[in-house]
Amino acid sequence: MENYRLLLVLATLAFIGGLVHAVVVLKKGGWRESRWHLLPMALGFALQTAFLYFRGRALGQCPMKSLPDILVFIAWSIALLYFLVGGAYRLSLLGLFTAPLVAAMQILALLLPGSFGAYPAKDRIIPLVELHAAVALIAYAAFALACITGVMYLMQERMLKRHRIGGLFYQLPPIQDLAKSIRRLALLGLMLLTAALGMSMALHHPVSSPKVIFAWAVWLLYGGMSVVMCRHMLSPRQTAWLAVVGFVVPFMSLWLVTGK
Amino acid sequence: MSRHLVSLSLNYRTTPVEVRERLAFAGNKVALATQEIRALPGFEESLVLSTCNRVELYATHGHEDSRKGHAMMRDYLVHHFKLQPEHAEALVFHQHVSTETARHLFRVVSGLDSMVLGETEIFGQVKAAYKLALEAGTTGRTLNKLFQQAFTVGKKVRNDTLIQRGSTSVGSVAVDLAEKVHDLKNCRVMLVGAGEMSRTCAQSLLSRGARSIIVSNRSYDRAVELATEMKGSALKFDEWESVLHEVDVIISSTSAPHFIIKPDLVHHVMRKRRWEPLLVIDIAVPRDVDPAVNDIEGVYLYDIDALQAIADDSRRERERQLALCEQIIEEQLEKFGFPKSPADALHARRRRPPEADAQSGLVPS
Repeated sequence: MENYRLLLVLATLAFIGGLVHAVVVLKKGGWRESRWHLLPMALGFALQTAFLYFRGRALGQCPMKSLPDILVFIAWSIALLYFLVGGAYRLSLLGLFTAPLVAAMQILALLLPGSFGAYPAKDRIIPLVELHAAVALIAYAAFALACITGVMYLMQERMLKRHRIGGLFYQLPPIQDLAKSIRRLALLGLMLLTAALGMSMALHHPVSSPKVIFAWAVWLLYGGMSVVMCRHMLSPRQTAWLAVVGFVVPFMSLWLVTGK
Repeated sequence: MSRHLVSLSLNYRTTPVEVRERLAFAGNKVALATQEIRALPGFEESLVLSTCNRVELYATHGHEDSRKGHAMMRDYLVHHFKLQPEHAEALVFHQHVSTETARHLFRVVSGLDSMVLGETEIFGQVKAAYKLALEAGTTGRTLNKLFQQAFTVGKKVRNDTLIQRGSTSVGSVAVDLAEKVHDLKNCRVMLVGAGEMSRTCAQSLLSRGARSIIVSNRSYDRAVELATEMKGSALKFDEWESVLHEVDVIISSTSAPHFIIKPDLVHHVMRKRRWEPLLVIDIAVPRDVDPAVNDIEGVYLYDIDALQAIADDSRRERERQLALCEQIIEEQLEKFGFPKSPADALHARRRRPPEADAQSGLVPS
């Protein structure tokens, strides 16, 4: 096993460890806001970063071409955004919900046949192409976090409606904050995707490429969602459902993007 | 000469409020009282804890017989408050010595001896009492050490158990709910009806940072009175519906015999609010709010039974935590080197309620 593959396995274990710890503590009812809860996420993120660094060095380019590499890059971006967003909106419990998705994506990446093989050598690296791909994948990570926050919203909403005031209820943020976070994350993802598409136009890529068509489809979807969210045309609950279900489209498009 | 660590405690369990109120030390008299107790013959250190639910004296003295120390403290209270003989006779105290004193203080600081099990206010009250005694110069090595240990134990009990999880009163449950729906700093509250219970809920919300209160009541004078008290604004009763969309929490407690808040009205309000969440607390009996309101998107309706059920659940959860808290206290007593006494063995065997200690003869002397 290559060294960088081991790093990814360890990163996955760190996220799973963080998840197990959080579930056990929550079940005991002893969860309290603490920076220590971020430790497994931070460790996992550091290992992910190391993996991407060594993988990139081994390939001589950014590792964003095969599906396993893309999955890992998105998982890394999710962890990155988690650290940026979690603190700002006091959503530290987001880690509990983020860790399983990140771990699942990395396990899938590790299990896919022929994962982390070599790429065909590139004649020359065009920085704007690499940047365009990276920004697009970070946009997808923002959509993933909007989806996770949507799940948190729906859980909190259900507990409030049904008067089920238990362990997790006390730990989740106010639903008003969650609703705002969903909107902001969807908007952030949309802005990043817009930037990525802008770069791709500057590169004069052929419009017929399935990659670009799907990217525009995702852009239209989230553009429409953002308008609906920001103009309060739907209730926050419907918005949360939209963020959860909407993420299926960009996630499934990854197969098409990489299957070209 | 041996030195005894003793405490004399009179609280809501042993003494009715009409007697307790006679024995409450005024805030500015506590320091003087600690000095007067320390000045008693044979006394070396002293501390007075006086709250609405308890009056407790902690001291060290050098009398051979610890019962003499207790008797002197009791006499001090009787003389200080100039109690009539019949009241003095009726006084019932918990008397503790050595390890029992430490155990009692640890329980008090942890909220296990409080009327509301696990409440946190007592921790601050004990800290304040200790600070006062420290500044008055009436504590020494023994009490300083004991109280520092007590604060450590109190924190440990709160951190390692769920003794303070949830809320055990209807007012606090309402606040918990409001906090999970809105950021309280931006939360506007409306009282429809100015009953005592809604006033309590509103005050709890204000104390936790709610932004503003609007009071509407059939008697406008009463609305103005309550609004003034809570630094809010009053509204005539026929106007409250028109501003409903501007508030985030509605607390309703009118004496109307029928529903006054109906789904049609709330649906209209939610559209105007652009679906911003709305918490509706209905503490009226008969109810003011049609239960169908809870089916509207973004509206969370809790009536008095729902609030009471949550409070009862929390209380039961706290009671379940009690054994774990007691275990932590026993471990800490051992860690701090408090000797086991015959009473400790008895305590471990029976885990009897504190009432049983009161002047029961089980207290070591």
